Amino acid sequence: MTSTFFGLETAKRGMNTQQSALYVTGQNISNANTDGYSRQTVNITHTEPYPPVGMNRPQLPGQMGTGSKIADISRVRDAFLDQQYRGQNNQLGYWSTKADALSQMEQIMNEPSDDGLSATMGQLSQALQDLSVHPEDEGARSVVLNRAQAVAETFHYLSNSLSEIQDNLGNKLQVSLKDINSILKQINDLNNQIAKVEPNGYVPNDLYDDRDRLVDQLSMYVNIKVTRGPTSPSASPIAEGPYKIEILDASNKSVGTLVDSDGYYQLGFKSGEGPESDNPTEKMISGFTLEKQGNIDFDVASFSQGSLKGLVESYGYVGTNGSSGIYPDMLDKLNKLALTFAQKFNDIHSSGTDLNGNAGSNNFFIFASSGNSADYAKNIELNSSITTSMIAASSSATKEPGNGQNAIKLANFQNEDLSTNGSNMINKGTIGSFYAGVIGSLGVDAQQANRLTANSSNLKESVDQNRQSVSSVSLDEEMVNMIKFQQAYNASARNITIVDEMLDKIINGLGTGGR
Amino acid sequence: MRVTQTMLSRNFLNNLSNNYDKLGKLQDQIASQKKINKPSDDPVVAMQGINYRTNLQEIQQYKRNFSEAHDWLDNADSALDEATQAMQRIRELTVEASNGSLEDNQRKSIATEITQLRDHLVEVANTKVGNKYIFNGTDTVTKPVDLSTNPPTFSTNNNPVNIELAKGISLKVNPDTSVFSGQQSGDLFFDLNNLINDLNSSNPSNIGGYLDKLDQATNKITNERASLGAVSNRIDLMETRNGEQEVTATKMMSDNEDADLDKVITDFIAQQSAFRAALGVGASIIQPTLLDFLK
Repeated sequence: MTSTFFGLETAKRGMNTQQSALYVTGQNISNANTDGYSRQTVNITHTEPYPPVGMNRPQLPGQMGTGSKIADISRVRDAFLDQQYRGQNNQLGYWSTKADALSQMEQIMNEPSDDGLSATMGQLSQALQDLSVHPEDEGARSVVLNRAQAVAETFHYLSNSLSEIQDNLGNKLQVSLKDINSILKQINDLNNQIAKVEPNGYVPNDLYDDRDRLVDQLSMYVNIKVTRGPTSPSASPIAEGPYKIEILDASNKSVGTLVDSDGYYQLGFKSGEGPESDNPTEKMISGFTLEKQGNIDFDVASFSQGSLKGLVESYGYVGTNGSSGIYPDMLDKLNKLALTFAQKFNDIHSSGTDLNGNAGSNNFFIFASSGNSADYAKNIELNSSITTSMIAASSSATKEPGNGQNAIKLANFQNEDLSTNGSNMINKGTIGSFYAGVIGSLGVDAQQANRLTANSSNLKESVDQNRQSVSSVSLDEEMVNMIKFQQAYNASARNITIVDEMLDKIINGLGTGGR
Repeated sequence: MRVTQTMLSRNFLNNLSNNYDKLGKLQDQIASQKKINKPSDDPVVAMQGINYRTNLQEIQQYKRNFSEAHDWLDNADSALDEATQAMQRIRELTVEASNGSLEDNQRKSIATEITQLRDHLVEVANTKVGNKYIFNGTDTVTKPVDLSTNPPTFSTNNNPVNIELAKGISLKVNPDTSVFSGQQSGDLFFDLNNLINDLNSSNPSNIGGYLDKLDQATNKITNERASLGAVSNRIDLMETRNGEQEVTATKMMSDNEDADLDKVITDFIAQQSAFRAALGVGASIIQPTLLDFLK
C-alpha cells in the first residue's frame, strides 16, 4: 500500500522537472545568437520506482512510478566535427595570411598600370628616344634627367613600401605570438576551473563552450591536436575532463605539448631573435621555441601549419638555404633589378660622348652609401653632379651635338642581353623580361593563395554548417519544447488538483453519512 | 539535416557577401574597362600586358620619330628646291653675262644680282629646323657656311644623323653637306665667288666656262633631292607599316586585358538579378518563426 500523499509527491516532481526543463529552454533561447554556444538538452528520467527491491518491501501488485527527475543537462556537440572545423580553420589561417601579404604586395607593385615601375622605365626609354632625335636640345636632355630621377624614385618607393609592410608583418607576428600565449593561458585557466567543478558531479557546459571557442581560435594560428584527459572518479560520466593540446609539425606529427592538466607552455621566437631586435641580422627569425623544462626548438620549414607560419613565410625567415620569404624575396629581386639596371645603364652611358666631347660618365646612377649597402633599390640615386650637357647621347668619340646614336642604345636598355652579367646581378634574359617574370610569378603566387583561401574558406563554412546543424539553437524547436514543457507542467498541476479533490473526498466527505 | 535560424541567416549573409564580391569584381571591370586589376586576377594576362605595353610604347615612340624624320627631310627638300631655283636664275644670268657684247657696268649689275643670289644660297645652306642646322652633319649647333670670316668657313662635318624608325633600323635623315661646300674648284661657293670676281673684273674671257660648273652644282643638288626623296618614300612605307603595327599591338593589348563590355554588363545584370532574388528569398525565409503562428 502506498502513502496517502503518494500522488501529490509524484505530481510535484513532475512540476519541478518540467519547470527546470522550461528554464533550460529559456537559457537556449537567450543564447540563440551567442557565438560558440552549444544548445543544451535536458535529459529527463524517471525516479526510483516504489517499492524498491528488498526483503522488507511492502506487498504491492507491481512497482509504481514515483515521477521524474532531471538526470543531467548536457550540451549537444560533435567532437569529430570540431576536429574537422579546426583542420580547415588552420588551412584558412595559413592561406588567408599569405593571400593578405601577397595582395598588399600587388597593390604596391601596381602592375599592370600606367604608373608602375615598368611604365616609369618605359617613359625613360621614350625620353631617351626623343633625345636621340634631338640630341642637342636642352629640353630633351632635362626630360631625360627627370625621367631617370623618376625611375630611381620609383625604386625607392617600392623598396620603402615593401620594407614598411614587412615591418608591419613583423609586428603582426609578435602580436600573434602574444595572442597565442594568452589563449593558451586562458585554456589552462578553464582546464583548472573545470577540474574543480567536475568532481562535484556537475557538467560545466558553459565552461566547455568557452574552452572550445578558444581552441577554435588557437587552431587558426597553429595546427593542433586535442585530446581529453582523464576525469575525476566522482565526476559525471558525461564530463569532458581537461584538454591536452599538442602542437603538430608540418607532417602532422606531434612535437610538443602546449597545454595539459599540469599547465601551459609559452611559444616564443628562438632566443635572441625577433622582429623587435635592433640588430638587422637578428630581425630575421629562424624558428620558434616552446618554453618548457628544456626548451624545444622548431625550424620554420617544419613548423606547424597555420597563420603563424603564413606570417613568418611572408615576413621572411632564415632557413637552411639562407633567408627566404615572400617579402625578402621580392626585395631581393628589386635590389638585383636596381643594381643590374644601374650598371647596364652606366656601361652604355660610358661608351658614349657628351655634348662637350667628353666621354660619358660611368656614374650616371650611383648608390648612396647610407644604410645596408645591399639595399640597391633603396640606395639607387641619379648622380647629382650629372648636368644636362653631360648626358652621353653621342656615339662618336669626338664632339658631335647632332649625333644621338648612344641615346638609342640607352633607350633600349630594357632589351639588353644580360647573359654576360656577374653573379649578384640578373644574368638571364633582359631587364624587361626579368621584371615581367617577377610580376608574373607574384601573380601566380597570389592567385594560388587566393584560390586556396577561397577553397579552405568554403570547406570551413561547410564544416561549420554541419557543426551549426548539430549545435545551434533552433527557435522553432525551443518553441515546441516550451509548449511541451508548459503543457506537462500544467497537467502536473492539474494532477495535484485531482489528487486534492480525491483527498478532500476522504477527509471532508467520508464519515458524515446521514448528516 | 537539422537546419536552424542561425544557419539560415549565416548562410544568407555568406551568400550575400559572395554576391557582393562578384558584383564588385564586375563593377571594377566595368569602371576600369579592364579584365584584370591586379596580377593575381590572371597572371598570364598581367605578364603579357607588360610586354604588350612595352611593345606599344616603342611603336608609339617610333611614330613620333617618324614625324621628326619627315621634318628633317621635308625641310631639306624645300631648302634644296629653293637652292635649285636660285641656281637656275644664276645660270640664266651667267648665260646673259657670257654674251661678249655686254658693257662692264652691265656685267657688274649682273654680278650684284648673283651676289644676292649667292647670299640667298648661304641662307639656304644655313637653314635651321628648330634649333638645328640641317646642312651640317651631326654638328647641328654651328653654322655650316659663313662667308664673313676670312677664309670663309664651310661645313666639314658630313656625318649621318640617324633616327631609329623601327627596332634596330636607323635611317640617315640629313642631306649631304657637300652640296654647299666651297673649299676648292668644283665646290658651289668656290665657283660662285670666282664667277662674281670675274664678272666684276673688266673684260673677263671665260664666263661661259662657268656654265658647266654651275650645271654640275645644280645636278648635285638635284641628285641630293632625289636621294632624299627616295629616303622619304622609304620612310612613308615604314610609317604605313608602323601604323599597321600600332593597330595590331593596340588590338592585341586590348584583346589581352580589356574587358568585353557586352559580356561584363550581361554578367552584371545576371548577377544583379541573382542578388535581388537572394535578398527577396532571404527576407521571406528569415522573418517568420513558429512564434508568428502560435497564439
